[in-house]
Amino acid sequence: MTAAAPALRQTAALAWRSIITTIRLPQAWFPALFFPLVLMAIFTASFGGAPGAVPGFPPVRGFLDFAVCGAVIQGVLIAGTSAGAAFATDIEGGFFDRLVASPTSRVAILTGRLGASMALGAFQAVLFIGIAWAFGARVQAGIAGFAIVLVIAVLFAAAVGGLGVYLALRTGSGEAVQGMFPLFFALLFFSSAFFPLETMTGWYAAVAAANPITYLVEAMRLEVIGGATPGTALAGIGIALGLAVITIGASALALRRRLRVAA
Amino acid sequence: MRVISVSLGLAGRNLLLVRRVPSVFIPSLVMPLFILIATAGAFHGIGALPQFAGESYLAFTIPMAAVMGAGFAGINSGMTLARDLEGGFFDRLQSSPAPRLALVLGPMLAAQARSLVTTVVVLLAGMVGGVMPPGIAPTLVIFAFALLFAAAASFWAIGVALRTRTIQAAPIMQLAVFLSVFMSVAYVPQDALTGWLATIARYNPVTYILDAARSAELTGTVIWSETWPGLVAAAALVILLGAFAMVPLRGLGSR
Repeated sequence: MTAAAPALRQTAALAWRSIITTIRLPQAWFPALFFPLVLMAIFTASFGGAPGAVPGFPPVRGFLDFAVCGAVIQGVLIAGTSAGAAFATDIEGGFFDRLVASPTSRVAILTGRLGASMALGAFQAVLFIGIAWAFGARVQAGIAGFAIVLVIAVLFAAAVGGLGVYLALRTGSGEAVQGMFPLFFALLFFSSAFFPLETMTGWYAAVAAANPITYLVEAMRLEVIGGATPGTALAGIGIALGLAVITIGASALALRRRLRVAA
Repeated sequence: MRVISVSLGLAGRNLLLVRRVPSVFIPSLVMPLFILIATAGAFHGIGALPQFAGESYLAFTIPMAAVMGAGFAGINSGMTLARDLEGGFFDRLQSSPAPRLALVLGPMLAAQARSLVTTVVVLLAGMVGGVMPPGIAPTLVIFAFALLFAAAASFWAIGVALRTRTIQAAPIMQLAVFLSVFMSVAYVPQDALTGWLATIARYNPVTYILDAARSAELTGTVIWSETWPGLVAAAALVILLGAFAMVPLRGLGSR
């Protein structure tokens, strides 16, 4: 048996534990599903007149088609924050210390949590696009386009999960991690997640144009509304992957630091 | 008379907490500012719809942000009261000769005082963005609606706090205020709304409050025919939610 096998088994077990604890705590999953869907519904009903009437609005079948990817990204952000807070609760409550004291692979402590975030991200993407589909939205790029949306959502979930784990390891406080959420939410609004970049003006447009979330959402959105190319898909995957590498790398360093302090 | 002096005393204590526990007040100051900037910035383009008749979307958003700020000021009072209920201060008040009514009116007045601050902040931010306040009388109308909505929201939050007796109920207080504003004409006028929201917004009292405050902001005058529906809606909310907050007071002694 190779050395990787137990790490994989432990990753699966810890990921499953994270998923179970998320399902059992309504305050962990309810906001991540409720808020993006309610905002998507409110924005769609409020801005239904925008496509075709607002200069710069991309050609689209309806506002719901435009809005669904922003909802997925928002849901992943909320879920990732809760996951980080849950990890911090493990640190506060001593579960983390017991894991460290056991012969659990150090890698599995990270990958277990990240695996759960990625699984939940995939679930959110499928659920939100399914709901939008039921209300008339269509993915123009078909199954392949849907797969690309899913890949970007899962990679972004890994990136946000990594950020949550990093913050949990550095602060060790669930409240502190949850307290960072308004900042992420602001980051989302200062992007083209809810409305096209082409319709923004002045400094707001400049901020949104510099925000990586803008390009992430647009890569997903082009698959839904049409106009995607292999280049746009690769750019979206690349940005999500880059963010994931940064945050997971940072969380790995933070884990090493915490283990060294503990030892 | 004692009701007034005790209410003012409790409101003063509530406002002191603003200085002592900044983690409660700062978000309620930042949120309306964020809502103003994010809404006016992200959805700037929607102002091109014919229903806006060429009005600035920032000016259109200012009354909504002011009302939302007042809503947060109200939620704040409910959260402070929930803390007092958890921490035992409320029990001591109850065993004191303080009039029961003051236990609700005090936090409500504190919410109104805070809503004056958030409205000033929103109007100042609008000026930074190039939208001057609309003149003395219409500006006073905007402040009046902020005061009324702060009273309504605080009564709601206080009623929830008195029933649940825990700070854990804060999301219930916030969610109702959020949804009541967003499921109205928060982002576009009524005739631009489509589907389910067009129906809900028509029956949502917040729609009439926003329309009245917007009429003051955008026309620069106080047009009575566009103001009174908002006043009626706000008064109805204050009375109904005031009753919601005061009913639990009767059962206090028996707990």
